[in-house]
Amino acid sequence: MKHLLIVTISFLCCFGAVKAQNVVITGSITDKEKDRPLPGVSILMGNPPKAIGVGDNNGNFSVTVPANAEIMFKMIGYKVIKIKASAKQHIQIRMEVESNALKEYVAIGYQKKTRETATGASVSISGKDLQSVPVPNVMELLQGKVAGLNIQNNSGAPGARGSMFLRGLSSIGISGGGGNDAFLTPTSPLFVIDGVPIDPNTNYEYGFQQGGPGLSPLSLIPTEDIESVDVLKDSQATSLYGARGAYGVILITTKRGNSKTPIIQYTTNFFANFAPKLKQIIGGKDEREMRIWQIMRYDSTIYAGRENINNSPFLSDSLNAYYNNSTNWQDIFYRTTFNQTHNVSASGGDQRFNYKANLGYYNEKGIIENTGFDRYSLSMNTQFQPTPRFRLFTAVAASLGKNQKGSGNGVTQSGVASASNTSSLLPASKFTGGADAMSTFSNRNDNKTANIRTNIEVQYELLKGLNVNSNFSYDYTSGVEDNFRPSLTNNNFAQVYTYDDRRSSLYNRNMLTYVKSINDKHNFNIYGFNELNVKRYQAQIMQQERSPNDQYEGPLGVGGALSKGGILNNFSEVRTASFAGSFSYNYDKKYVVDFSYRWDAASSNGPDVAYTRNPSVGLRWNFNKENLLKDLKWLDFGSLRGSWGKNIVPSGNIFDAYGKYNFAGRFNNSPAIGLDFGTMPNTMLLPTVTTQLNGGFEIGLFEGKVSLITDVYYKMVDNMTWNKKLANHNGFTNIKTNEASMVNYGYEVSLMVRPLPRKCAVNWTLSFNGAINHDVLARLPDNMREILVPGDKITDQSILYRLGRNSLSNVLYHTRGVFANDMDVPVDPATGLRYRTSNNANSFFRAGDPYWTDVNGDYILDTRDQVVVGNSQPAITGGVTSYTTYKNFSLNITMSYTAIRDILNNSLAQRFQNLYNPYNPNALVPIDDYNYWKSAGDKATYPNPMDYKRYELYYPYRYNQTLFQEDGSYFKINTMTLSYNIDRNLTKRWGITSLRVYSTVNNVYTFSRYSGPDPENVTDLGRDRSDGYPNRRSVTLGLNVQF
Amino acid sequence: MKKGKAFVFAGWWSIALVMVLGSCKKMLPVDRPAFSLESQFTQDLYQPVLGRTTLMTNNFNAEGSTLPLTFRIINVRTFNDEPAPELLKLFPVEVWKKPYTGDEKTLAEITAKRATEDHPLFEIREHSGEFIMWNSATSDILKAQPDSGYLFDVEAFNDGGKRIFKNMKLRPFRERPYEPNNQNPITGANSNPAIKPFTVTDMITDSTGSNMSADDISIYFYRKGEGNSLTLRFLDKRLQPMDPDLFKDTKWNELLHGFNMQKTKEAVRYDVAFPIPLVEMPTRYTTFDGKQAKMVFAYSRQGFGNLRQDASFQINFAIYRKGDWEMVIWFNRENPKFIND
Repeated sequence: MKHLLIVTISFLCCFGAVKAQNVVITGSITDKEKDRPLPGVSILMGNPPKAIGVGDNNGNFSVTVPANAEIMFKMIGYKVIKIKASAKQHIQIRMEVESNALKEYVAIGYQKKTRETATGASVSISGKDLQSVPVPNVMELLQGKVAGLNIQNNSGAPGARGSMFLRGLSSIGISGGGGNDAFLTPTSPLFVIDGVPIDPNTNYEYGFQQGGPGLSPLSLIPTEDIESVDVLKDSQATSLYGARGAYGVILITTKRGNSKTPIIQYTTNFFANFAPKLKQIIGGKDEREMRIWQIMRYDSTIYAGRENINNSPFLSDSLNAYYNNSTNWQDIFYRTTFNQTHNVSASGGDQRFNYKANLGYYNEKGIIENTGFDRYSLSMNTQFQPTPRFRLFTAVAASLGKNQKGSGNGVTQSGVASASNTSSLLPASKFTGGADAMSTFSNRNDNKTANIRTNIEVQYELLKGLNVNSNFSYDYTSGVEDNFRPSLTNNNFAQVYTYDDRRSSLYNRNMLTYVKSINDKHNFNIYGFNELNVKRYQAQIMQQERSPNDQYEGPLGVGGALSKGGILNNFSEVRTASFAGSFSYNYDKKYVVDFSYRWDAASSNGPDVAYTRNPSVGLRWNFNKENLLKDLKWLDFGSLRGSWGKNIVPSGNIFDAYGKYNFAGRFNNSPAIGLDFGTMPNTMLLPTVTTQLNGGFEIGLFEGKVSLITDVYYKMVDNMTWNKKLANHNGFTNIKTNEASMVNYGYEVSLMVRPLPRKCAVNWTLSFNGAINHDVLARLPDNMREILVPGDKITDQSILYRLGRNSLSNVLYHTRGVFANDMDVPVDPATGLRYRTSNNANSFFRAGDPYWTDVNGDYILDTRDQVVVGNSQPAITGGVTSYTTYKNFSLNITMSYTAIRDILNNSLAQRFQNLYNPYNPNALVPIDDYNYWKSAGDKATYPNPMDYKRYELYYPYRYNQTLFQEDGSYFKINTMTLSYNIDRNLTKRWGITSLRVYSTVNNVYTFSRYSGPDPENVTDLGRDRSDGYPNRRSVTLGLNVQF
Repeated sequence: MKKGKAFVFAGWWSIALVMVLGSCKKMLPVDRPAFSLESQFTQDLYQPVLGRTTLMTNNFNAEGSTLPLTFRIINVRTFNDEPAPELLKLFPVEVWKKPYTGDEKTLAEITAKRATEDHPLFEIREHSGEFIMWNSATSDILKAQPDSGYLFDVEAFNDGGKRIFKNMKLRPFRERPYEPNNQNPITGANSNPAIKPFTVTDMITDSTGSNMSADDISIYFYRKGEGNSLTLRFLDKRLQPMDPDLFKDTKWNELLHGFNMQKTKEAVRYDVAFPIPLVEMPTRYTTFDGKQAKMVFAYSRQGFGNLRQDASFQINFAIYRKGDWEMVIWFNRENPKFIND
């Protein structure tokens, strides 16, 4: 777009250029920062300025001007440079990047605008900030960069993606069973990659039980190929992505060719991944002695204890070589890996014709054995504009991701977790760690995700200012998982499992735009378009049990009766159709009004639901353009903006709206198809709607030294789906309704400071951003005030939905402390009975037991004593970025933080619970660091973990207590990159225009009071599961060469 | 635009924005507890036995209400709608302060674990809705059955709502100071005060040699004074005192949780704390469920064919009223045979 502008301007102005005699000025124009030629710079003169020439593709220019005339060099995105024409023959112009945030470009509603005229809230991140750190998924690098975008990298599995929330929660739906496996319905923003909408919530339906490769579609884009990322936050900014824009929109633009001389760029990274600090384990003799001491001390009698020890050979047979070991199982599964990436891109061309091709290879071996991720990607785009009125843009991107999940799924590593939870007394062999340990090594797991993304866009100018534009894209992803479990790992029978899925998305948009400017003051921009999207998904599984042996994997000879296969019931096909119109007006870029309206229909809506209507309106006032403030030197820009609007996202599926026919048994010995009585059709099923009110204030001061953007928002999420149980006389079991609502409101701040004076050799940019978000539940089905979602059998951690409160509250027993002495146990004054649990009338609390608050005062601990505490969602998130350059060196540090968030440390609870069966050969962790009760009179924080005989009576280390709810706030240094640009003059002789070497440390350090290993590596419901995939630390050496 | 105007404009803009966002916040529901109107007492008739502390539990179903609720007894009246001040008045009652374990060594140790507090005789626990009838309540003070008793209302509330449960009924039974007890619970009449032992094992009679059954032993309770003691007397079939040492295998020191045993040829006396058992939990002095005290009187003799016979009988009982109690055990048909065959 910007080239179009330049070319047009230069064309128009060339004719009117004044031919005068006097001096000829020649010179070259370079980019000050990158130190490379800058093509296509406009050269202007006079008042009002008129173009007198344009720099060529190598940045050279030659103009003839009157002596002493002032000439200007102008390029969008760069500061204007003015010089006095003099007899000096050759001048060097070094253009500096414009740091005025208002002149930045933002892509909003399929069109690029300057920030000056955008009424919505959005943030733009340059692709430059996302380089130098090899990560499989670009989202990892966006953490802490955008105020209001909360990214938690909660799985370190290569190729998986963390959780992502824009402006708080957008759903309160919880699936995946309960306990550690419970996860929030993912509501990550819609991604639009070069105009192709990609839903990152795909391949995430199953959460922790997901089938298939489990690769996020975002992991298939090489970070080197990204030109910019735009995060659109409020409903005005996202209004035109309507049908699925309710959770926010993130636009990713890949690089384009824009240099007449072709540029070849090669980037490579060599990086080492290190496992984080692992759990400490009690090993060998210490473990045996601890177990024996515990049994002798706490078994019912000394004789019973002796008998039990004698019956447990791994305790008594200490001289047997099999039991006489000290194995650290984690060392066997965790490893340090060396990895590499290579990326070559070739680009070139001008406004008439340009092209780019990018070829990338990414290889990362996971820090857990048998896991890893490889990506092969090839993307190309080209633009052809034979006349200023016709433009054709095409893009093709193909990528192939291969990953190994080991014995877990894409997110967790349950196999490794249970295998490394093996007693150190057993020898280090894959045969002794049980089936889990063996499957970690000997499962043959091979996953492939192939994706092809194509896009074609045609634009034609019918009349002056009136353009017709059509965009067509197709995105196809196929995922395959092959898994072979040898017989030793699977109860002596080999298992063959294959999974494959295919997903396609077809998208078409036809748009008519009209741009009109009257007297350069009144600017109108009107457009309308329609949109069509068809998404299909289908997956199938084949599982053959009991293949003849480990070498012959079928198909003959398998146990037919046990084998199964077929299409999974999560197949879907969703069609959406939309019509939209937009009207923008600004007066001299001072007052801006945006209005848009769209009609959306989705096939997953109920049949009685018409098109949903989604209006939005935005206002902006650039007060720095008022006459009064115009001349203030210290005020670069200043503006106020406000917006209101609605967006939707389809919720539920077609079966929820229309019901389903299913196999209903046999009738007259032939299969019968009948109505499925599981879910009652809801013909009024609506999409989820967000309504957002946003206010913003932007100010830039002291010539780019300080810029501040603040936003305040109020976001309502209505019509959230809720699976409601029906009374049994209805025939159907349940119905999906739209009866839940919630509200997020909060504040966002982004502050950028350049504290050092402009003349200083060191250039330092410090950016800070932060967001405070509160979520409040506003409506529940049947006008209930609260609903309790009971926990699972293991953790029993319930979740409470209550109106007016944060949407997801933990319900726990409140741990007041530990009884130091028997006499401290409260007594029922009426009966004289001591405080006790409800599961046994005669087992009373005693010294060393936890003191849980007896909320209802009946001296019995039961579910009625649970209290509502804590919020699993963070209240404050943000980040800090520091960028320093000195001569050819630059140092870039990114940091992020999360504050006021409660984590349930289930992992710690489980470690203590391991002590409850001294006869079970699992791993024992040292607990000396914890202040636990040892003998009468101890003032302890943690109850007595040793008294295993009484454990089942009162479960002192139950998961659902406030003892294990901890503050999950953290401050993390994400990355540190030190880079050096080698002087161009030194490399010129090899034809290298730019050579940069750098070193990066990723996941440097996390400051936190949380007692677990990593406050980030927890589920999005704030539960620290012990079988998560830890986040690696990586050290990179990288090289970037440009020819 | 003039300078002033611009600032005014900016001012209005910001005020409007703050107001709009502020008012949105007001539209949000308030975080208050839920109160379900379907919550209810599962029982509206309460019939505690007077003279003992009775806790009436598991009587409230909160449905979807947020716990804890707060309960209050209001509007206490007799069945004829007359005021019933006796239920509101505070009386000294004995409450537990420290846990009773069954291992206390002296009477003073037990006394130190209890204290006297002033309570209304009939109370509701503030947050659980359980009712307590304290042991100071007697039929002298309260109307006992066959009187129709009292009516009262209970107010249950939390910050989210409130409900009054009307016309709950309290109809106490009159005292039965010991158990088992053949007294008619309603009238208090007792035509057969004798109770039987729980078990009789391998006892034979001295004259006919027949097996003894529970029917052959009658047990009577007599309250002789206001002290703190329990005296055991054994009477033979002629109502003559028997020497307790005839039951030579009896563990007299562990017979019950009593102190300062005084054993004579006619009786055994213990200083005890009331009620017996003190707390309804299993100790070495009680039955398995802890609800009653357990006494085993045992002896052994050489039986027919030189077989050793371990004979015993066990009495399970409870005494609720404090006093100098005497327990008389009368072998009403024949005496047990103590001598060897």
